[in-house]
Amino acid sequence: MGMLYRLIRNDVLRSTAVTLTTMLFVAAAALLVALAATLVVNLAGAIDTMMTRAKTPHFMQMHAGHLDRERLAAFADGNDAVADFQVLEFLNLDGSQFVFAGGSLAASVQDNGLSVQSERFDFLLDLDGNVIAPSDGHIYVPITYMQDGTARVGDTVRVAGTPLTIAGPLRDSQMQPLLSSSKRFLVSRDDFADIEPFGSMEYLIEFRLHDLAALGAFQAAYVAAGLEANGPTLTYPLFRLINGLSDGLMIAVILLISVLVIAIAFLCIRFTLQAKIEDDYREIGVMKSIGMRVGDIKRIYLAKYAFVAAVGCALGYALSFSLQEPLLANIRLYMGESDSASWAPFLGLLGVATVFLAITAFVYLALGRFHRIPAAEAIRFGVSQEAPSGGRRVRLSTNQRLGANAFLGLKDVLVRRKLFATMLIVLVLTAFIIIMPRSLHHTISSKSFITYMGVGETDLRFDVQQTDRIADRTAEIAAALEGDDAVSAFVVLTTKAFEARSSDGSEVRIVVELGDHSVFPLTYASGRAPTGDHDIALSALSAGDLGTGVGDVLQVMVGGQARDLTVSGIYSDVTNGGKTAKATFTDDGAATMWSVVGVELTDASLASAKAAQYGARFDFAKVSAMDDFVAQTYGPTLRAVGTASYAAVGISLVISALITLLFMRMLIAKDRYAIAVLKSLGFTASDIKTQYLVRSVFVLALGVVLGTLLANTLGESLAGAVIGAFGASSFAFVVDPLEAYLIAPALMALSVLLATVFGTLDAGTIRVSESIRE
Amino acid sequence: MDKIIVSDSIVKSFGVGRERRNVLDGVSVDIGAGEFVAIMGPSGSGKTTLLFALSGMDSVDSGSVVFDGEDLSRLGDDALADVRRKKMGFVFQQPTLLKNLNVLDNVILPSVRDGTLSALQINEKARALMKMAGIEELETRGVGQASGGQLQRVGICRALMGDPKVIFGDEPTGALNSTSAGEIMDLLADVHRTGTTVVLVTHDVRVATKAERVLFIFDGKIAGAHEAGRYDAACDDVDARQQALATWLAEMGF
Repeated sequence: MGMLYRLIRNDVLRSTAVTLTTMLFVAAAALLVALAATLVVNLAGAIDTMMTRAKTPHFMQMHAGHLDRERLAAFADGNDAVADFQVLEFLNLDGSQFVFAGGSLAASVQDNGLSVQSERFDFLLDLDGNVIAPSDGHIYVPITYMQDGTARVGDTVRVAGTPLTIAGPLRDSQMQPLLSSSKRFLVSRDDFADIEPFGSMEYLIEFRLHDLAALGAFQAAYVAAGLEANGPTLTYPLFRLINGLSDGLMIAVILLISVLVIAIAFLCIRFTLQAKIEDDYREIGVMKSIGMRVGDIKRIYLAKYAFVAAVGCALGYALSFSLQEPLLANIRLYMGESDSASWAPFLGLLGVATVFLAITAFVYLALGRFHRIPAAEAIRFGVSQEAPSGGRRVRLSTNQRLGANAFLGLKDVLVRRKLFATMLIVLVLTAFIIIMPRSLHHTISSKSFITYMGVGETDLRFDVQQTDRIADRTAEIAAALEGDDAVSAFVVLTTKAFEARSSDGSEVRIVVELGDHSVFPLTYASGRAPTGDHDIALSALSAGDLGTGVGDVLQVMVGGQARDLTVSGIYSDVTNGGKTAKATFTDDGAATMWSVVGVELTDASLASAKAAQYGARFDFAKVSAMDDFVAQTYGPTLRAVGTASYAAVGISLVISALITLLFMRMLIAKDRYAIAVLKSLGFTASDIKTQYLVRSVFVLALGVVLGTLLANTLGESLAGAVIGAFGASSFAFVVDPLEAYLIAPALMALSVLLATVFGTLDAGTIRVSESIRE
Repeated sequence: MDKIIVSDSIVKSFGVGRERRNVLDGVSVDIGAGEFVAIMGPSGSGKTTLLFALSGMDSVDSGSVVFDGEDLSRLGDDALADVRRKKMGFVFQQPTLLKNLNVLDNVILPSVRDGTLSALQINEKARALMKMAGIEELETRGVGQASGGQLQRVGICRALMGDPKVIFGDEPTGALNSTSAGEIMDLLADVHRTGTTVVLVTHDVRVATKAERVLFIFDGKIAGAHEAGRYDAACDDVDARQQALATWLAEMGF
């Protein structure tokens, strides 16, 4: 044991830089794995705890218009699956009715409204997870408005003219995420009654079931009963999903980076191990020749790497505790403490232990090479006598145009392919981590991205809902747009509900947006937009529910008659619970649920001004400039992805520089003899540095090309999977060529080449007299 | 005879503190252009250190080495590299060839770096030298596919590519059997006959026999010089030359 300790200590002292770098990567890998594990446990637990405490409804139907409470109550009583039932009121108010100290919510694209505390379930909670009981004159505000600075505790907000004191933030288990388009403010019953005349009432028809597994059957029964359904339908799994989405995305990014860092840590170990074995080649031969078993020799090396891995893992695990706080802060704020949080450190430890075991197993396998080292040869020559493989056809005698330095650099990379493969893989990975998140950010920032989300690319959008005479009022808007020179195109889309027959014969209610869908087309995952009276396009979720694909025929009841519609295309949608359909036929029978008017302006920069102008003129409609809509709905996600992508760029550049530096230092140490030979032949120090630069440039170029290709193929699929979580199923990168093909490679080149220059600074100072005689 | 190398009181020491000792202790040696000089002496006497000092491969602590009119201690690294490439050739005990390159590529490497000749001229010159050295059939072979003697000849061909004024040899036959060693010495003698100065370190009397002058170094100082005159294989009695050298070396305590 004592000898083993001395061997490890001496080895660590002799190669401090290499050992520290390896330890650093192991620590980073352990840190990320522990963080991801902790975050997963906390996020999943916190969502569960919040949704349990709030008693989130299992099924919720939003409805605007007349409500028949008796009929609903009778349905609930008669359905065995129902455990509890209630109808909550949501008083929809125009954003301009909320006036805070710093301004109003007029520009908000959210549907802001008031609620009173529920008595049975779907409670609005305070930050301690308790059910809030607001007193008169007090208002509780969605956390998001507290966070962005709109509201502050103690301030006064005027809601429809009534002054209310902000008593605190509220947690809303179903409408909290920005992706959910409504936001509930909580007031007392009396205040609610006072303000009621200023808004339009919307109903939240909510059910809790005995068993969540019965949700599908219950949903079908609700539709079959022909109950109130003028608005989106939302379910418990969907609430869970959108609550976890943004933090889940962060965890996904951490996991992705940790996989890459683990890969880099492995490469680092493989490389240092290889170099170490070559350094110790003679000693290994000597040990074998004096009768030490390969297993004994392996143990010495394994002990060192186990030590490095253990220290690295311990360091990473310890660091994870200090770093998890800021990352958990968001989860804690929006969802509260997790009841299962005490499990997190154990799961983190398990993750770190897995990293440790994987590293030691990896080293053990890599040490298998000892079996193949011939003792006699090792003692005699001190280096492996394996003939250089590859690159034999590349000859200096037939290729002198390159110049001796460029030739030697290139040839070396070709001959020692296995060695340079390590550096290549690191550079491919770093190019990937630089380009992929940037392209993802660029793609989701691009204006056309919303077409993946079920929203056409317009400049301006009118939403007409929760009002009487939707059709007339929409026509009023259309007439105004007709006469506006600034409008280059517009389209009216009317949403109605129809009964349809799914592939298994059951009746399903589908929400269909009728109108001309060719004006502001969506991006279709498959097929095309509906064009004729017998076409229908379905959202991916609807198509899944109905069990239909492109080309299939769907029977829909239109005007009391069954009509066969052919599915022309399938698109992704995140609006209205994701279950929508689009068609062009006309229908006068069914009631209009809401309508949307999409507008393209001759000058897109006028959008905000036009939105304000039309918003004032048509106070019954919500008018939003598309840029504002995107910024407010996806803004925080965009910013998070943007920040993450810049962080990824920074981390990657540091990794590529660090690995290159390490690689060059080791290469120089390994090549001392060859460098001395070249110096004896009259090669200058700068000749030798140039040769190493050529090696770097060659590997760098290859790495950047492969990394870029990988980012645009595998990265695109990976990003597609992430975006898929938002409901978008088809996905293509919008690449910023300047950034991806010029700036990213230039930054990588800068970091790698600078590292090469620093790493090879003393290459020229190797003394021939010392190195050649060894 | 013009002097190609003039060294004056060179001192070179190794080690630190009390362990420090002068391996070369005020050595002054002149070498004439076209001369063939062998440096002999017991192990650790400073033979190789002297060779490296005279060739500028290693710096000296004090004293000076003037090579072909240039004071080597005043030259920077790059200028030294240029002198090495254009005016010197080296042959070491072990063939210092690059494993990545085949035999022909090893031979032409310094000339390609130099860039004075065209690719065609370089290849032709290398092939002519390899033919002279009897290794023309090795051209495309890898370094691992040739014998020690063959590799040493490759090293000599490489050293001759730049038409050096001086060939330095550090025990060039030390790792070879007697037949190969004899062949290498014949080759070096041929090179010397063309007017190239040859300075080599050896502990082998048979090798030193072919030198015009033998320097004996002991404890970092030149202890004596043996003038044997230019060697001519056709006229000279090799055995007598060798005997005379052996006798002198014995007097020197070798």
